[in-house]
Amino acid sequence: MPIEVTMPKLSPTMETGVIAQWLVKVGDTVKEGDPLADIETDKATMQMKSYDDGVIALLDRAAGDEVALGQRVLVLAKKGEDPKAVAQSMAGAKAGGAGEKPAAKSAAAATSSNGNGKQAEPVAVEVAPGGRVKSTPLARKIAAASSVDVSRVTGSGPGGRVIRADVEAYLKAKPAAAPPLSRPAARGGERIPHTRMRKTIAQRMLAAKQAAPEIHVMIEPRVDRLVAAREELNRGLARENIKLSLGDFVTKAVAMALRAHPALNASYEPDAIVRHGDINIGIAVALDEGLIVPVLQNADQLGLREIRVQSEAIAKAARAGSLTSEQLTGGTFTISNLGMFGTRQFDAILNLPEVAILAVGAAERRPVVEGNQIVPGTVMTLNLTADHRAVDGATAALFLRTLKGMLEEPAAMLL
Amino acid sequence: MAVLTFREALNQAMQEEMERDQNVFLMGEEVAEYDGAYKVSQGLLKKFGPRRIIDTPISEGGFAGIGIGAAMVGLRPIVEFMTFSFSLVAIDQIVNNAANMRYMSGGQFSVPIVFRGSSGMAGCLAATHSHRLEAWYAQIPGLTVVMPSTPANAKGLLKSAIRSDDPVVFIEHEVLYHERAEVPDGDHLIPIGKAEIKREGGDVTLITYSRSLKATLAAAETLALDGVQAEVIDLRTIRPLDLETLLTSVVKTHRAVIVEEDWPYCGLGAGISDRITQRVFDELDAPIRRVASKDAPIPYNKAMEQSMLPSVERITAAVRDVMYR
Repeated sequence: MPIEVTMPKLSPTMETGVIAQWLVKVGDTVKEGDPLADIETDKATMQMKSYDDGVIALLDRAAGDEVALGQRVLVLAKKGEDPKAVAQSMAGAKAGGAGEKPAAKSAAAATSSNGNGKQAEPVAVEVAPGGRVKSTPLARKIAAASSVDVSRVTGSGPGGRVIRADVEAYLKAKPAAAPPLSRPAARGGERIPHTRMRKTIAQRMLAAKQAAPEIHVMIEPRVDRLVAAREELNRGLARENIKLSLGDFVTKAVAMALRAHPALNASYEPDAIVRHGDINIGIAVALDEGLIVPVLQNADQLGLREIRVQSEAIAKAARAGSLTSEQLTGGTFTISNLGMFGTRQFDAILNLPEVAILAVGAAERRPVVEGNQIVPGTVMTLNLTADHRAVDGATAALFLRTLKGMLEEPAAMLL
Repeated sequence: MAVLTFREALNQAMQEEMERDQNVFLMGEEVAEYDGAYKVSQGLLKKFGPRRIIDTPISEGGFAGIGIGAAMVGLRPIVEFMTFSFSLVAIDQIVNNAANMRYMSGGQFSVPIVFRGSSGMAGCLAATHSHRLEAWYAQIPGLTVVMPSTPANAKGLLKSAIRSDDPVVFIEHEVLYHERAEVPDGDHLIPIGKAEIKREGGDVTLITYSRSLKATLAAAETLALDGVQAEVIDLRTIRPLDLETLLTSVVKTHRAVIVEEDWPYCGLGAGISDRITQRVFDELDAPIRRVASKDAPIPYNKAMEQSMLPSVERITAAVRDVMYR
């Protein structure tokens, strides 16, 4: 079976790597330890080395490309395999589902970001072009009888083919499944087969709920000053046709607060908590077919104007389906905002491996106690979901106190 | 039970049937005075005389046709081809006349004939004398095709073939003639159309026949050292295929490898694989693999010829492939 070589983790904090230069070309014979490429990480330019012997059958990416961890960059034909045939058969199906629109990160990328330069064999979930999961008839039969979606089973056969043993291992690992919650659509109803995005959302949300013990911590900042500051700034920006939203202020404030509370700007990995150097804020964008989380890179270094312009650009790209892999990867914290729908408050599910996500409700006029009087004021409800494996209640509370201070006194963000 | 060679077992089967039924007679090149090119008919002329053990000229098309005519009027001929490679010049008689006579005469005539002889890649016989024509004959409705793998099977199947009321193509492998094994005495009959499980196992089904059985059983032993338990099935009858035995095994093991000495394209394994796939597709945990001879004319050079054959190495490799290990 050919070896799919993926972008390795060359620095503890890297989420993507840029191929500075290929050191091999198609047809080259490489040995274990031979350099394959120079990779620019967030820290330095480092050599990516081969973990296997073989012949380069396929280079997926060109020099200059930025590639997320776990995404395939090349395919090695092993001894006895014809590199040309390998290139032909492997050209379409890239590990990590490059070229698709992954909701958040694809499963394969998320899995392999835990390993070091993983040359995955077997691959996590290999999906052929067109989103088809390769599986044997027997594996499908057993999966169907147990109401298991084969696309959720990791295939260990050639090219990621799901075989009987894989389905059985999956069933063994899972507690006895509840009877299938499937029924024919009632009269006038319809049955909508899962899209790739729907499957990914289902898989990642379920995985988060299963893996992470969550805590929820809430603040209700009074945002009258923020509303006033927004109106004032928007008057000045009107001629540039830019209109800041309250969400933009929240993004800015979250980014600034994360700088002071790096424990929330982190990933939980099996053996360590990784605190990220960059503050990259994922903004959940609702689409007709689901949702997607494009990323504002280095949001703490952006002014409100850039936040607005870039947020608008990524939301537009998300709706057009034209997000680049750079716009989809590297998130360190996620914001989900339903305020525009008038929602007062809600809980969000973690976007693993990030350790926290903030659910933002609408700013609304509410009675507020001021001294001994009840006065009208503008209040927002923000609900933080945190992974208690990495973040304790007090840590979350301290972060929210900083955030609350910034939202109530926007000038503090200037500090 | 006596220990006999494969050729002695065939000889015994013919003797017993000729003693039992005076309509049975043997005809072919060198079968009488020379006792058979491979000595399968040794002593038969002496015992049964020239009326029943008949030497023919080198004219396969002619004596195959004479045999079919004799069968139509009530005799039970055994027609020996020195090798089935030579049956190619008689194939019109076998395919058009023997196979179709019962059908085209609306049941007025049957053709109780056995065409038998040696076959296969037997060592430096080169391209024109090494044919394996089992897939050719097995395709024809109206023919029964039998390929024994052991002396006991050779005797029991040949006796059943001689008693069949329809034409039987009985293909012996030349390299098996000197094989020795126990053969039941007396009226030992093996039913046509029944495969034999030679070795039980739960991990993979190995389907084979004739000479390839040996390499397949050896491969099964090699695999057992690695903890893979192969079930080995000897087809014995090629047509009609004992599909039920194959399916029962594949449903148990969920994977199959077919080992055959014929050529891969449109070979016997292709047809068998198709029948299994049609019936138990959902039981398969891997594609059915075939180990056949290489897709080229058979070379004269001995080492090259050996490399064409299904070997223990090729069989175990195919099994590892379908076992994903």
